[in-house]
Amino acid sequence: MPGMTKQLNSGEKLAQMSQCITEVAENRDKASFARLFDHYAPLIRAYSLAREPAANLVADELVQEVMTRVWLKAAKYNPRLANLNTWIFTLARNCRIDYLRRNSRYATEIDPTDIFNDMEDEGPGPFQLVQQSRVEENIRAGLKQLPREQSEILTKVYLEGKSHQQASDELKLPLGTVKSRVRLALKKLEVLVPR
Amino acid sequence: MNKSLNHPNDELLTAYSAGSLPLSQALCISTHMEHCQSCGQKLQRLNRVGSQLMQQLKPSPASAELKSRLLDQLDALTEEQSPAEAKPSEPDSSIPRCLRQFVENGYENLPWRRVSTDIHSVELCRDSNGARVELLKIRPGGSATTHTHLGDEYTVILEGSFSDDSGLYGQGDFMVKGAQDKHTPVATQDRECICLAVTEGPIQFTGFMSRLLNPFIRRSYA
Repeated sequence: MPGMTKQLNSGEKLAQMSQCITEVAENRDKASFARLFDHYAPLIRAYSLAREPAANLVADELVQEVMTRVWLKAAKYNPRLANLNTWIFTLARNCRIDYLRRNSRYATEIDPTDIFNDMEDEGPGPFQLVQQSRVEENIRAGLKQLPREQSEILTKVYLEGKSHQQASDELKLPLGTVKSRVRLALKKLEVLVPR
Repeated sequence: MNKSLNHPNDELLTAYSAGSLPLSQALCISTHMEHCQSCGQKLQRLNRVGSQLMQQLKPSPASAELKSRLLDQLDALTEEQSPAEAKPSEPDSSIPRCLRQFVENGYENLPWRRVSTDIHSVELCRDSNGARVELLKIRPGGSATTHTHLGDEYTVILEGSFSDDSGLYGQGDFMVKGAQDKHTPVATQDRECICLAVTEGPIQFTGFMSRLLNPFIRRSYA
């Protein structure tokens, strides 16, 4: 939209993007899809490059895959289960899992599609999260306050897709230290509440 | 409703959320979560961590060419069905969604093979790390004989229940046994017990009689 160059904060941006996904779902609106692309494609590329730096073709392929699913699955997206950012993250993660499976040296017939479908309506039980926005805010604020050593490990695990063992090898830290840092970080973010 | 369930630990759930877990283990977690709301909620919070971390990345602009190519394709895109969508089973089917890719017509129609008087098994597939994904069926009151594994063993109960040294396990229960853990699961008397089992190395039966069986069992893992 011309003239709308005001810098939006993350909450406003998310609200704007959520409008776009509704437009895509209900009216197959391509202009809204283009705006979703403008916002999310650079983040999806960054997510891919975090794991494979300089692999630009792989990053573009991931964008293509994820945005294709956004177009096709927009009507199945349920904002009560997860906000749009989280949905996009799970799509990107799932596409990456599938990409790695297809390009693995040792093939497996396990089809991940029905394993990681926790964000769709017909997925395993619609888990509704109470106080969604409070959880969201805790995580956002909490991440900024984590000690560097803890956020570094979360980045390795979530963005680079490393196992705890791989993180331990790369950072030359004992496995137990890696595990306890992940645990501490997630505890501070109030993600692991006791049952 | 499920307070007595045995759950995957936080480390496994985190790896599942981050997408770094081998698919065979993810299959077990997903199966468990169809029975467990609390793990589902934990997973949603873990996914938010990934989402927030992704939002904080420095964006890497996509080319205009990529955008226009994708926009041009939109009308021609058609959705591929997942295995579970392609073969909708009976509405009352108790087969977990993520297992329907392997179990099309109910557990009873699988090509079960006899392992012992008490146990039948059927291999569903292998993971790319070599882990073996199989279903085990223990007859009512039957015992899976004492066994150890060379690697970890992940089990989720699909039907029935069994008990071992550490307690009673029922539908949806998830457990991991390490290479050193010896255990002797015994199915309850009322019905047969069906489990999803993922083993990272060959199972070794340690009972007196079954030790004789080991060479043969091991060969089937070759």
